Amino acid sequence: MATRALLAVVTASPPRMIQIKASTFSSSLKFQRHITTIGRCFSSDTNPSVLQPPDVSRLAETARISLTPSEIEECGAKIRQVIDWFGQLQQVDVSSVEPAIRAEMEGGNLREDAPETFENRESIRASIPSFDEVYLKVPKVLNKE
Amino acid sequence: MLSTLQPPRSLTLLPFRRFHGSKTIASLASSSPTLDASFVSPPQSQILTTRRSLLSGETTASEIAKSYLSRIRLTEPQLKCFLHVSENVLKEAQEIDQRISRGEEVGPLAGVVIGVKDNICTEGMPSTAASRILEHYRPPFDATAVKKIKEMGGIVVGKTNMDEFGMGSTTEASAFQVTANPWDLTRVPGGSSGGSAAAVAARQCMVSLGSDTGGSVRQPASFCGVVGLKPTYGRVSRFGLMAYASSLDVIGCFGSTVADAGMLLHAVSGYDRFDSTSSKQDVPEFDTQFLSMDSFESKPLKGVRVGLIRETLEEGVDSGVRSATQEAASHLEALGCVVTEVSLPSFSLGLPAYYVIASSESSSNLSRYDGVRYGNQVMADELNKLYECSRGQGFGGEVKMRILMGTYALSAGYYDAYYKRAQQVRTLIRKDFKAALDHNDILISPAAPSAAYKIGEKKDDPLAMYAGDIMTVNVNLAGLPAIVLPCGLVEGGPSGLPVGLQMIGAAFDEEKLLKVGHIFEQTLKGSGFVPPTLPNVA
Repeated sequence: MATRALLAVVTASPPRMIQIKASTFSSSLKFQRHITTIGRCFSSDTNPSVLQPPDVSRLAETARISLTPSEIEECGAKIRQVIDWFGQLQQVDVSSVEPAIRAEMEGGNLREDAPETFENRESIRASIPSFDEVYLKVPKVLNKE
Repeated sequence: MLSTLQPPRSLTLLPFRRFHGSKTIASLASSSPTLDASFVSPPQSQILTTRRSLLSGETTASEIAKSYLSRIRLTEPQLKCFLHVSENVLKEAQEIDQRISRGEEVGPLAGVVIGVKDNICTEGMPSTAASRILEHYRPPFDATAVKKIKEMGGIVVGKTNMDEFGMGSTTEASAFQVTANPWDLTRVPGGSSGGSAAAVAARQCMVSLGSDTGGSVRQPASFCGVVGLKPTYGRVSRFGLMAYASSLDVIGCFGSTVADAGMLLHAVSGYDRFDSTSSKQDVPEFDTQFLSMDSFESKPLKGVRVGLIRETLEEGVDSGVRSATQEAASHLEALGCVVTEVSLPSFSLGLPAYYVIASSESSSNLSRYDGVRYGNQVMADELNKLYECSRGQGFGGEVKMRILMGTYALSAGYYDAYYKRAQQVRTLIRKDFKAALDHNDILISPAAPSAAYKIGEKKDDPLAMYAGDIMTVNVNLAGLPAIVLPCGLVEGGPSGLPVGLQMIGAAFDEEKLLKVGHIFEQTLKGSGFVPPTLPNVA
């Protein structure tokens, strides 16, 4: 599809913006000043070897999401594809660039640490799946050794 | 010239663009052609027309509301824009009529029929973000944007369909239904605010609210041939907008004209103490500047410097979209603008940076959906199992995927390589935009690399779908305002498919975008982007 070409990081640009550090790549990969091909995007040459590929089962456990075995397989393949594509970010020289938390940094929007009563408590209670007068009921926590 | 393509001469062209003295708005849902073949007037603001008709007594809010409800009933089976239609529409309309008949003041949005995207909280009305995990959830409060609309007399007609939690570009990721594009029922309306865009295009409501994290207002606006307005980050309070990526999310507006989108934006803008990222910047009166075409000078945009982003017209963009954009640039030149090409060198980095940031922030934001305090709960004998099963069964595939990607990108040892790096790329993108906007009043580009594609075409290929966001994500990373307005048609569907032009402005400069957009729209020949007849509309 024509739009696939849009996924590649365009490396044609003034040298000051994007520089390749030679040590990051295997010698077979050359810095090209054209749109890179799809194959190169997904090649493992672009990933620094220190980053392990995603272990989907472990991630699902961390994120508290249960996946069926077929979901793990299907999801896993797609996730690996996308994470590979993220690897393009490694090509950029950001050595002296400050990270931007968000676009505009307007500070000082803090409020008084004073509690306010929310009037519509009934509506909140109505949404709680397991409510036992004052308490939200949940099952026990198992301590994993 | 693509932009002179006339809208289809169907008999059921709705006569809402021109309110002739003798026609009531009740004829909205009926079939009566009011335009003869040679005369196409520029699109009129529905908000202003409604206000005029109500105050002059020409019609009533109840009549207007009835005709829109009837239109919804007629067209929903094909379109599926709405997840919920309000039961209080006629009651609210009657209240407005009573106030008018008592000579009382009514707000500037009195009687205006408004759709609201389902990830924006509306008290007492289901708000599900198109997810099973919130299937029957009714919030105990209104989002600030909704509260403001109601205070001004607007009528929320219903909650519109979307991709689950805002993650998607087609509404195919909705847990409940897929919305069809009114221009071609076999094609997607775009996303994630697909329902809101399609509802305005199909005249099921006058204006609507959506949300834009990576293009979710602008891309569906382009696909559906309506105006989509993304404000500067912080311009509109996010209180009550279910968070997807907190540093990128904004609430945006849809309308059939630039004026309507602008007036709706003005209504919902402003500092809100409940949103610590909302800006204290003044909100200029950009709702009152929409002059009628008769008062335009011959070169009404003389001297306005427009930068066409070179990287958006390269390989991968459909030729039809490219020509429509270039013709739009010529139209701007004819209006007096100085159009030059600009380059944003970091442009292509935006897409991977956006997806890293968005999935990372979403993995954190969606951790609140645990089945304990609200939403669907899957009971289990152990707490972690309750979380895992409630979330595993409540979330759709795309949502789960993005949460897992985000979890990975934020893990110890990976944070620097992905999230921090993406934040640094964000700085580079901000700098590029700032440099370009120091020398230009606005920047322009297509809103998407193609017109609407077929339902199911990109569903199983995440990267192909992500690629379509390339024109829009950088604007979210930089936090800038942007508007998309229809500029032409390309081949496809029964009568062509609309293509939108994106205009990007400097931070908090919505005023300039609206001025340029309004003049562009009013002077575009063959203007009036109305989708063809929907089957079964009488």
